[in-house]
Amino acid sequence: MFDLGHLALVVAILSPLLAAIIAGSSMLIGTRIPGERTVVRMLWAGLLSALLASAFIATAYATSWPVPLHGEIDFGSWIAIGDYEIPAVFLVDQYAVAFSLLGAVLTALVARFSETYLHKDPGFFRFYVLLGLFAAGTQLLAFAGSLDLFFAGWEAIGIASALFIGFFHERAEPVRSAIRAFTTYRLCDVAFLIAIVATHELVGSTRLADLGRAESLPTLEVSLIAFLLLIAAFGKSAQLPFSGWLVRAMEGPTPSSALFYGGISIHAGLYLLLRTAPVLGMAPWAAMFGATVGLLTAFYASAVVRTQADAKGALAQATLAQIGLILAEICFGWTTLALVHLITHALLRVWQYLRAPNMLHDAHHHAHHEHRTHAATATDTALSRLRRRLYVEQLHRFRLDDRLDALVAPVLALAHWLQRIDERWFDRDERRRTDTEA
Amino acid sequence: MTPEPIILRLFLSALVALLVIAPDLMARGRPSAATLLNATLPALALLMPHGTLAYGLLALATGAQAYQARPAGLQAVAMLLVSALALGAAALLLAGPSALAFYMSILALILRAGLLGLHGGMSVLWRKLPTLQVQQYTTLLVLVFSHLRFSDHATAQAAADAIVVLGASSALVFGLTSLVQRNLDGLLRASMLMHGGFMIAATGAAGKGHAVAALFVSLSMTLAVVGLCLMVLALEARVGKVTLLHPGGRARAFPRLAAAFGIFGAAGVGMPGTAGFIADDLILHALWSESVYATIAVALASALLAIATLRAITLCFMGPQTGSVAPDLLPAERLFAFGLILLLLVSGLTPQLVVGASVGLFGSI
Repeated sequence: MFDLGHLALVVAILSPLLAAIIAGSSMLIGTRIPGERTVVRMLWAGLLSALLASAFIATAYATSWPVPLHGEIDFGSWIAIGDYEIPAVFLVDQYAVAFSLLGAVLTALVARFSETYLHKDPGFFRFYVLLGLFAAGTQLLAFAGSLDLFFAGWEAIGIASALFIGFFHERAEPVRSAIRAFTTYRLCDVAFLIAIVATHELVGSTRLADLGRAESLPTLEVSLIAFLLLIAAFGKSAQLPFSGWLVRAMEGPTPSSALFYGGISIHAGLYLLLRTAPVLGMAPWAAMFGATVGLLTAFYASAVVRTQADAKGALAQATLAQIGLILAEICFGWTTLALVHLITHALLRVWQYLRAPNMLHDAHHHAHHEHRTHAATATDTALSRLRRRLYVEQLHRFRLDDRLDALVAPVLALAHWLQRIDERWFDRDERRRTDTEA
Repeated sequence: MTPEPIILRLFLSALVALLVIAPDLMARGRPSAATLLNATLPALALLMPHGTLAYGLLALATGAQAYQARPAGLQAVAMLLVSALALGAAALLLAGPSALAFYMSILALILRAGLLGLHGGMSVLWRKLPTLQVQQYTTLLVLVFSHLRFSDHATAQAAADAIVVLGASSALVFGLTSLVQRNLDGLLRASMLMHGGFMIAATGAAGKGHAVAALFVSLSMTLAVVGLCLMVLALEARVGKVTLLHPGGRARAFPRLAAAFGIFGAAGVGMPGTAGFIADDLILHALWSESVYATIAVALASALLAIATLRAITLCFMGPQTGSVAPDLLPAERLFAFGLILLLLVSGLTPQLVVGASVGLFGSI
């Protein structure tokens, strides 16, 4: 039966999306692009509705008032063909309620902050439409009761994230960074997609509540699904070896950096692992691998953060270190601790990111003093040479991006080779044309 | 047995006719006589109750398109071959579904979709007759539909694995080459061929009972690719041929065009909320039972094209902004863009509308 609880779930997810669609449509078919005040009103209506709905769901979950709301909430099938189904099912539990509230509150705060921060910016309209898409994606991610729905929210967040990184698109660097982040996301998402299909085919369902059924599978198959989910999480949460995009992502506007890389998006990978914790629990080798990567990322980021010269870059590394620790906690099975750690970390980081411009000013004198002290005590011993070498490596973030690029280079070389063959055999006109252009 | 949902066929028929005349309507305000012919024949083919009539009309349609495609040389020959194969299938279907009719039909489909190695004339046609290219791509949907309806099921089942692997491999190669394109035409060509590979793979999987998925995949890919083609035509009408060597900085001059371009591009690579997302999900599930390799290849191809599409969007529209005396999307162009986006959104958010009707047509998965 469709009751208040169902309505609240629909409002939480669809109201920001509708606001973004209405704003986008008014731009596409209207005679002129809506002004700042109009777009803010449209999006505020959506974000506020989502926040209220999220608060309602939290109340109903905690107190069963005015309606009891917990467990699977079924809306039927999103798509059903014979015995194949993508269920329109939501899962309301402590993880969902906490993540939804966190997302709704932080998004609303950042929307308010950005109203002043981005006033008169040429991308003001774009920023708010993307914020609507992101808010809808976050709520869908929070309440998704099946991996298919989870992936829809996951992708919406990924696309919004890439477009926010390239927000100041008149400069080349943000655009390059956006493509790099998106590339990492999409390639890691291939693992997620295959994990979804494999779960459906091997477990028989992609409902999160049914993941316990994976227990009947052979260890190899469960481990395969767990490894694929881990890779997806590594990409989204910037764990090794995919950490390079996070520092580059700081090219976006400060409010979006705060929301995405302090608050929600960077924690989405961890949230995926919290939701699929039963699978991880059945695959000890995968869990051990995840914990190792998390701890290694924490060490890596702790080393690199000591050499960062800019506030947002340092914050990105500090965030990475904590994310690595939370990942390890999840892999050790300490999911409640991980949830608390995740929420408190997100709140702290959003505040720090939003304060980043001031923080730089506050810390300037201190940093200068520290640097002079180090310079004065340096001597030319083996230890000091090692330290200098380490310092240079830290400064270059252990050349992680270069190493990944070296891995991708053969793939690109293959693509160029295929293209040359294609032009030689099938499209000579194109070859002549591109030669002329070059 | 569920009666055939005539509404779906009427809808597809109207959609195909509209997509075929869209480039003419956007550019000149009225369709030419040749365009009307290209719109009517495939639209009628969708409504035919018998395979012979459907393939006969398709043969006529592709024959007429081949005649118009004479300046494109090789592609005109390929289109003529498609026409001959469709005619052969029509003749054979007089005696009922057979293995030979199946192979003629799938060969016609493969030629039209541009399977790797048989894709030679695609870019020539786009360069010389872009409108006709859009029309022939739209006709591909009709070919898929007719193939799913009238082909021999036993042969389809036997050939499924090979067709799936061929289609997925083709998609992967074109997904890979999309990364290194140096102009927008090249990207569009790679995108059309990659999606063509998707459709071939999906049609192959239909042999093992995934016909509904195949139709949904073809429909959503057609909407997304034709939408992208229309936006490229609109852009090139304003600024000429577009290279992807340097940032173009056109977002401020053409904000609506940039937004619509981005949405069609994203829908083609599975953006949530659009039909492309459901299509990606369906095709992966359908392929898994045939071949894990094909599943991974298709997932990778989609990811690679997504990266290439974002790169193209940034290089077309982002960077230091340049002014233009040309206007942004005109009302007729906006109407088409908005209509197609709406269709992609509606079929993405409520896919059961299309799927439910298709189940009645093809039976369950």
